[in-house]
Amino acid sequence: MEVVARCDARGRTTLPIVRTSGQLAVRRTGAASVHLVATAFGPLGGDDVEIRLVVEAGARLSVHTVAASVVLPARGESPPSRQVVRAEVAGVLQLAPEPTVVTARADHRAELHAQLADGGELTATEQVLLGRVGEEPGRWTGTTRVERDGRPLVHTAIGLGPGAPAWLPPVAPRAYVSTVSIGDAWPEVATGVDAVRLPLPGGWVGTAWGDELHDAVTRLASVSPRPVDELAEVTR
Amino acid sequence: MTAALLTLADSRLPAGGHTHSGGVEQAIAAGVLADPGSLAVFLRRRLTTSGAVAAGLAAAACRAVDDADPVAALGALDAEADARTPSPALRAASRQQGRGLVRVGSRAWPHPAWAALPTQPHHPLALGIAAATGGLTPRDAAHAAAYLSISGPATAAQRLLAMDPITVAAVTARLAPEVDEVADASAGALPAATDPLLDLLAEVHAARADRFFAS
Repeated sequence: MEVVARCDARGRTTLPIVRTSGQLAVRRTGAASVHLVATAFGPLGGDDVEIRLVVEAGARLSVHTVAASVVLPARGESPPSRQVVRAEVAGVLQLAPEPTVVTARADHRAELHAQLADGGELTATEQVLLGRVGEEPGRWTGTTRVERDGRPLVHTAIGLGPGAPAWLPPVAPRAYVSTVSIGDAWPEVATGVDAVRLPLPGGWVGTAWGDELHDAVTRLASVSPRPVDELAEVTR
Repeated sequence: MTAALLTLADSRLPAGGHTHSGGVEQAIAAGVLADPGSLAVFLRRRLTTSGAVAAGLAAAACRAVDDADPVAALGALDAEADARTPSPALRAASRQQGRGLVRVGSRAWPHPAWAALPTQPHHPLALGIAAATGGLTPRDAAHAAAYLSISGPATAAQRLLAMDPITVAAVTARLAPEVDEVADASAGALPAATDPLLDLLAEVHAARADRFFAS
């Protein structure tokens, strides 16, 4: 799957390339925004999706999803499912998908690799819930690497769910949310209940967790430098 | 060369590690560490996240000595360490311990490689250079890093909770297979495993005025 955002001669964003593949369809929902639509149940164990996003200088792109992703295991011994986002950003990119729900026995690997050129801005949010109501938690691993001009700004890998080495009671949350924002510098640290915001070169990363997704979202908001809808405004 | 490895991992090596609790002091304050069982859990969290990251970086720094441009290679590793350590409190703790190790290591094992390190290197980088100049392998460096990620915090817990030293020694010793596993898995890679709980504890701890440990 691929989307390219380009700035035309009048300074407006156009999307000259919007290419769909496999389980994800792409709908243009605005001059500079797309929604991803799952064309089948899942992701299912064994699925491997790669999303390539290019935002050229002067262009803007927001990427959303129309509904929560519900990760399901394959029958029998389920291999992990994988979703990799590779972004090249010289303009402004906002990634704001709906939550990912990882059902019992499912094992999902989410990766974001972003390369920012000088002046490139990125805001990426992630919301994860392990297990549906009354269900055992699934397993989720999220890797984020953001580089500017080849220099790493942040590189983290978070493992959640049964079998993840550092997901251990008493701190083994079912819900986890994070925002990485580059282009919006906040050098101060902020801490709250099960929530922390840390500075990055030219930006920040906020993380929160809890038993319920709405708790984690509220906690992340409590340490975010601005309300989440205003964050979206930054990249609109 | 085993004696050099033992020296490097010895808590009596005056590199300043004893002033850091590796998050233990704040974990006790937050109520997530109170007894031998929760100590083992906390040490396992630390080992498999920051311990794995440190092991990977230490092994890579040890290899960087043979790089055509060690200054550039170590500079790049220092940036990778920063990217994996977004918490300012944890960065400061790592660089403080790095500087302490450079001070003793460069006297113990004099070698031009020490000069290739950045001024206040992250601790795993200094550990990698200490291993290389002490005649050890990258794998040894990874093992020292993984072991040190739990040995200092275990001692801090013993002191803060007045725990039975024999019990604490047993908790640490029982983690040995996991220490080896993390070290072996990290020696040829640069893991990025993160525990947001450790970031939060470190930042809350750094803002306290009444702390015994530097981190």
